[in-house]
Amino acid sequence: MNREMIFALLRKDLGLYFSNRFFAFITVLGLVFYAGMYFVMPDELDETVEMAIYADELPPILDTEMEDSGIILREMVSAEALKAAVASGEQEVGVVLPEGFARNVAAGQQETVQIYFSSAFPEEFKELYATFFREIGFMLTGQPLTIDVEEQILGEDRAGEQIPYRDRMLPLFAVLILMMETMGLASLVSSEISGGTIEALLVTPLRVEGLFTAKAVFGVGLAFVQAAFLVAVTGALDEQPLLILLLLLLGSVLVTGVAFLIASVASDMMSVMGWGIVGVLVMSLPAFSVLVPGLTTEWVKVIPTYYLVDGVYRVVNHGAGWADMSQNLLALLLFSVVFLVLGIVVLRRRFQ
Amino acid sequence: MANPAIVSENLTYHYGDLVAVDHISFEVAEGEILGFLGPNGAGKSTAVKMLTGQLVPKEGRAELLGKDVTKHTKELQAQIGVCFELTNLYEPMTAADNLKLFARLFGVNGFDADALLERVGLGGKGKVKVETFSKGMRQRLMVARALINRPRILFLDEPTDGLDPVSSETIRNIVREEQARGTTVFLTTHDMVEADKLSDRVAFINHGRIVALDTPHALKQQYGTRSLKAEVVGSDGRLETREVVLDEPETAVRVAELFAGEQVITVHSEEATLEDIFIEITGRGLVG
Repeated sequence: MNREMIFALLRKDLGLYFSNRFFAFITVLGLVFYAGMYFVMPDELDETVEMAIYADELPPILDTEMEDSGIILREMVSAEALKAAVASGEQEVGVVLPEGFARNVAAGQQETVQIYFSSAFPEEFKELYATFFREIGFMLTGQPLTIDVEEQILGEDRAGEQIPYRDRMLPLFAVLILMMETMGLASLVSSEISGGTIEALLVTPLRVEGLFTAKAVFGVGLAFVQAAFLVAVTGALDEQPLLILLLLLLGSVLVTGVAFLIASVASDMMSVMGWGIVGVLVMSLPAFSVLVPGLTTEWVKVIPTYYLVDGVYRVVNHGAGWADMSQNLLALLLFSVVFLVLGIVVLRRRFQ
Repeated sequence: MANPAIVSENLTYHYGDLVAVDHISFEVAEGEILGFLGPNGAGKSTAVKMLTGQLVPKEGRAELLGKDVTKHTKELQAQIGVCFELTNLYEPMTAADNLKLFARLFGVNGFDADALLERVGLGGKGKVKVETFSKGMRQRLMVARALINRPRILFLDEPTDGLDPVSSETIRNIVREEQARGTTVFLTTHDMVEADKLSDRVAFINHGRIVALDTPHALKQQYGTRSLKAEVVGSDGRLETREVVLDEPETAVRVAELFAGEQVITVHSEEATLEDIFIEITGRGLVG
């Protein structure tokens, strides 16, 4: 294979890619946007919950119990002000204690505590607040619960050091950047076929293998450089840089295969965009399972990007090492090779 | 023919059940221009694709410069130039960059893009993007691209189709210059005037088969009728046309009678065009 030819094609492809204003724009914008979004998002997770409360006299036991539960009380000036704060979404939960609540409960009188929830409040947590106040009632009557509960975390205890959303989202950003490049490369290849320039290239001494090598190197290079840039500026390369870069490199090979597949079915830029969006939606699904654990089930593992997303997430956020990543690397390597070979075969059939 | 540059032996290709090229055989001598004439869909472009190694023949064999095209594809492609029927240039790139890219692929050292552009009448346009070029300029650039490697065989597929007279003449001159340099030219066209002007020999292809192959002169001799057409003043004073068929035993007598008996205003000799002959042989025109 002639290196001079490969370099000539790489130079040409780079020029053509950035002469397409749309792809040049979304390439730069994508990098700036995702890196910017990362830094705009908070770098720590607030593990406390604020609760609005109105009472003529706050029972002292409430303060003590709240400290332990991580709920911060915000006293309101009136019941009406509390309801308005919850209704507007300023507060998610508000509690109105009736007049003389502590005294009356201690005297054995039945009292009703009114809890207000905002419309967006998760249904499954509502009962927790009701239970909490029933427990307070028992304490106020001098009959504390006779059950002690011991908590034990199995695995890594991340209390006080939860993973911020921006670090959960980092794998998603990386996948989106890689998939964006898929569309750029697919458009480039598709326009070569529909414009007939590929025929002109192949009546020169250039071989088909050389042509695909140049396209693959270009696609992998472009995707990898951008994804690597993103993880570098976000500081994700501070630990296990080689492992993360290898994951991204394999991911770049994978999306290059996807780009070839898209180029083999798309005839113009619009159809590239159409197929590309389908690809982005499917390939980014595993990232949501990291973002919201429990959202997806085992089936998500059939999507090749799962092994990239899961790998980057675990290395960046849980300090996973080479041994932990061996299965991810193997699966990703397998998927990458299969997609690349499949893409080349299908694409070759289109123009030959 | 000794050492032919192009040899086609029973070359055949079909797309499914549709036979595009049907057992065509011919040879083209070194330095010869062969006009390959036929209407659209006759199989011209498929034949060129097999000869240039873009398609593998279903039957038969193609040979360029004494070597089998399917076995020595890349070696031969390094020695040929191909100008495609449809414009396939990199539009967002400049004219010079288009040429330089292919020069690198051909491994041409010290390539001078400006000189080649000058030669095809695009001097000073090297830094202009192709997307701003007219059809004629693009076609001339396509021809320039086909000349980058100083090819021994030049394949031109409809090189002047739809071009203005100036661009067409520029391309014809380049073809003549290349022939003078010793290049063999395989000219595919449905323009019989162009074929007549440029070709040493012409091959008529119809429904994938070669139906005639000879020099334009010989084909006209064989199939056409030469005649003399005269405009004379008729008995009512109006102009009338008289025709005397040439190459017949009594031609001389008829011509003498014409000049003696009529008031002759103009006289023209006429011979059959290649299109007339194509129609006579195939029963269909070259266009369509």
